[in-house]
Amino acid sequence: MKLQVLQENLSKALVTASRFTSARAQLPVLGNILISGKKAKLLVSATNLETSVSISVGAQIDKEGEITVPARVITDIVSNLPSGSINLSSINEQVKISAQNFESSVSGMNAADFPTIPQSVGKESIILERESFLTALSQVSFAASVDETRPILTGILFIYKKGKLILVATDGFRLSQKEISMKTIQKKQSVILPKTALSELSRLSSEEEKIGFSLRKSDNQVVFGLGGTILASRILEGEFPDFERIIPKDSKIKISLDKEELLRAVKLASVFARDSANVINFTVRKDTVELSAESQSSGSQETKVDAKVVGSIDKKGFKIAFNYRFLEDFLGVVKEDEIQIELSATNAPGIFRDPKDPDYLHLIMPVKIQS
Amino acid sequence: MHLLLSDCPVNLITVSSINKNQIWNDSMESIKVSVSPAIFSTWFSQTHLSNLSKKEGRYIAKIGCSSSFVKSTIEGRYFGLIQDSLKKILDTECDLIFIVKEHPKKEGVTKTNAPAPLFEQEERLQEEIGVSLSKARIRPGFTFENYAVSSSNQMAWAAAEAVSKNPGTSYNPLFLWGGVGVGKTHLMNAVGHYLIGERVDDKILFCTGEEFTNEIVEGIRKKTTVDFRNKYRKLKTLIIDDIQFIAGKDAVQEEFFHTFNALVAEGGQVILASDRPPHEISKLEERLRSRFEAGLIVDISPPDFELRCAIVQIKTKERGIEIPMDLVQLIAGNINSARKMEGFLIRLSSEAKLKNTEITEELIQSLLGKGIESNDKKIKATPNEVITAVSRYFSLGKRALLGTSRARPVSLPRQILMYLLRTQLNLPLQEVGRLVGGRDHTTVMHAVEKITHLASRDVQTRQDILGIKNSL
Repeated sequence: MKLQVLQENLSKALVTASRFTSARAQLPVLGNILISGKKAKLLVSATNLETSVSISVGAQIDKEGEITVPARVITDIVSNLPSGSINLSSINEQVKISAQNFESSVSGMNAADFPTIPQSVGKESIILERESFLTALSQVSFAASVDETRPILTGILFIYKKGKLILVATDGFRLSQKEISMKTIQKKQSVILPKTALSELSRLSSEEEKIGFSLRKSDNQVVFGLGGTILASRILEGEFPDFERIIPKDSKIKISLDKEELLRAVKLASVFARDSANVINFTVRKDTVELSAESQSSGSQETKVDAKVVGSIDKKGFKIAFNYRFLEDFLGVVKEDEIQIELSATNAPGIFRDPKDPDYLHLIMPVKIQS
Repeated sequence: MHLLLSDCPVNLITVSSINKNQIWNDSMESIKVSVSPAIFSTWFSQTHLSNLSKKEGRYIAKIGCSSSFVKSTIEGRYFGLIQDSLKKILDTECDLIFIVKEHPKKEGVTKTNAPAPLFEQEERLQEEIGVSLSKARIRPGFTFENYAVSSSNQMAWAAAEAVSKNPGTSYNPLFLWGGVGVGKTHLMNAVGHYLIGERVDDKILFCTGEEFTNEIVEGIRKKTTVDFRNKYRKLKTLIIDDIQFIAGKDAVQEEFFHTFNALVAEGGQVILASDRPPHEISKLEERLRSRFEAGLIVDISPPDFELRCAIVQIKTKERGIEIPMDLVQLIAGNINSARKMEGFLIRLSSEAKLKNTEITEELIQSLLGKGIESNDKKIKATPNEVITAVSRYFSLGKRALLGTSRARPVSLPRQILMYLLRTQLNLPLQEVGRLVGGRDHTTVMHAVEKITHLASRDVQTRQDILGIKNSL
């Protein structure tokens, strides 16, 4: 292999690819990045056997070939080189890197040991609008679980339904659902993808407006394509909980609140709630919502937030309690100034909505109040 | 004659899972020796033997890999290695198929019960309802869903539905009366069930007139009448079955009167059931009678044939047995009360299970012929009285009835007579034959079978039988 490539392009690709290598791989080749020169392109690939990435970088190829090199070494070298052209060449299992006033020889490994990685999205791909898809991901993915004991909940459910792509994530305490209208979807299908792979997808910087997306059920794999970058991930096997069953059909009380005011009140309450299992008590009255929290060691507080309340409430007010972290997470992804909360019972999940975004729905399970 | 090997019916044998795991473990052990530990733990530990089957003398092994990366690497680089090791273990040629599939055992391990309250609420609600039901002492199986409605009980059902939709306002008290096994208790339980389903926390109590009496007596004895009052007067809904039991007991009636007033004043609902209407309950205090009469009094008549069919269908469904419509009619035509039907179905299903046979017409008829009524209202009559009743009912002379004429107007009453003698008096076949003009026992069998059958289809026959039974 012999080629010339620009430092800025190669460095960017290497930094991205090195995120996909397994840090503590038992098999050394998985800690490596595969560099292959083919035709007029340099391909930089990496995998940790769950996800893989393959980035194509424009280069001038003098001699085709491929080799794998330790991710840390090559990334650190290339990123510290001055911008400009770099020469790469491989002899046996060594890579020679040379730039202006610099020369290095890195020992690598035979590319034949490297797993096969998808290099294209394939023909039957769906085109996603990058911006709306990534927004939807950010609205949904925070609700996914980080607890590995229930692997299925660490994933995000993708459902294709007539003209719609629905994303759902839940950790058993809260649930996020977002629908994106997609005219091209016809066949009904659903697949669960790991949250980690999707968050890598949103981190991939790209000027591309579209994301190609294809499903390979037989390989248990999905492939995303952003321009020259191809990201593949395994599909999580298992049954997603029957989430449609738990979404309340109607609600007794509808509350409209200013987002900023509520966020401030939640932050204030969290000062004390931190010590007492993160619980914030809500008391809904005719035109206000009171948030209160207390801690046995440090004190208590109460904040009133003006609200528009629709529904019948008796004199004592409607009481419900939530974990403030869940509220913060939800308020963090709402872009508009107003939010809507729908409640029906003290022990039934509350529906949280962004009134300007009817396709988005968030559910939070209340904390049980000792009466 | 020689059997050829190819005559063997099974030529595709699937190997059981224990054996399968053992085979894979053995082959993994042998592979471990030939590859480096890093390669083994990265690639081979991610695989399992998903399926192993034998076809035409060759094994086909389906090897599951945890991801497509593992699959492509193993398939591409270690195909020969796996094939050789499997061949050595199985002693047969072996074909390999690679698929992407998670290890089934691994999935099982990961299904731990981490908390997920969002998905447990439905179950919790069910649990709460269960707790409330047992607190209210309502029998869980009695709901509106499995209550069959026909003209005989439609009014009562509509009233009960109205009460459960608007407790305390529509009909207060609701007074149901009717004979044994017409569905009073079921209907009252269904109201309680519905109310608890709507509002889990509401205080509801179901008790019988006798329990109510006992509690008062206990309260007086232990000087805890205050507890008793707290228990009853704070209820939202009070359901009392067999209220006629309190008649003639002055202290109980007085306590009930006050409880009733307290409940109604607070907007609570009272539902009562009795075996006769208020004005027929003797020794019932006048003030109570007038209060009962102020509400809605509905009677439930014994189920008609169509309703009985529906009940049989509901009950067979509950027991998970399937009976075709003609057999349902056969049962409903021969048994009058819902409880008896239940008992009959229990017998039928256990009989079918014990003998390991299908439920057939013969089985039902043999059970019907065995006189299931023996424990119930048994007709206390001598054979002669039955003969007299039949001859009077059909206006036939005894001589004609027991004679030799085989004309239809005579033969049908005769067969009904034989049916009654056999099923109601439990007489032996030969004895029945002797009584009915010295006939053969097979004639009696035929008659009983014919009437049993006819009763399931023919309204007239049913009415005839009922009329004769009543006249006895």
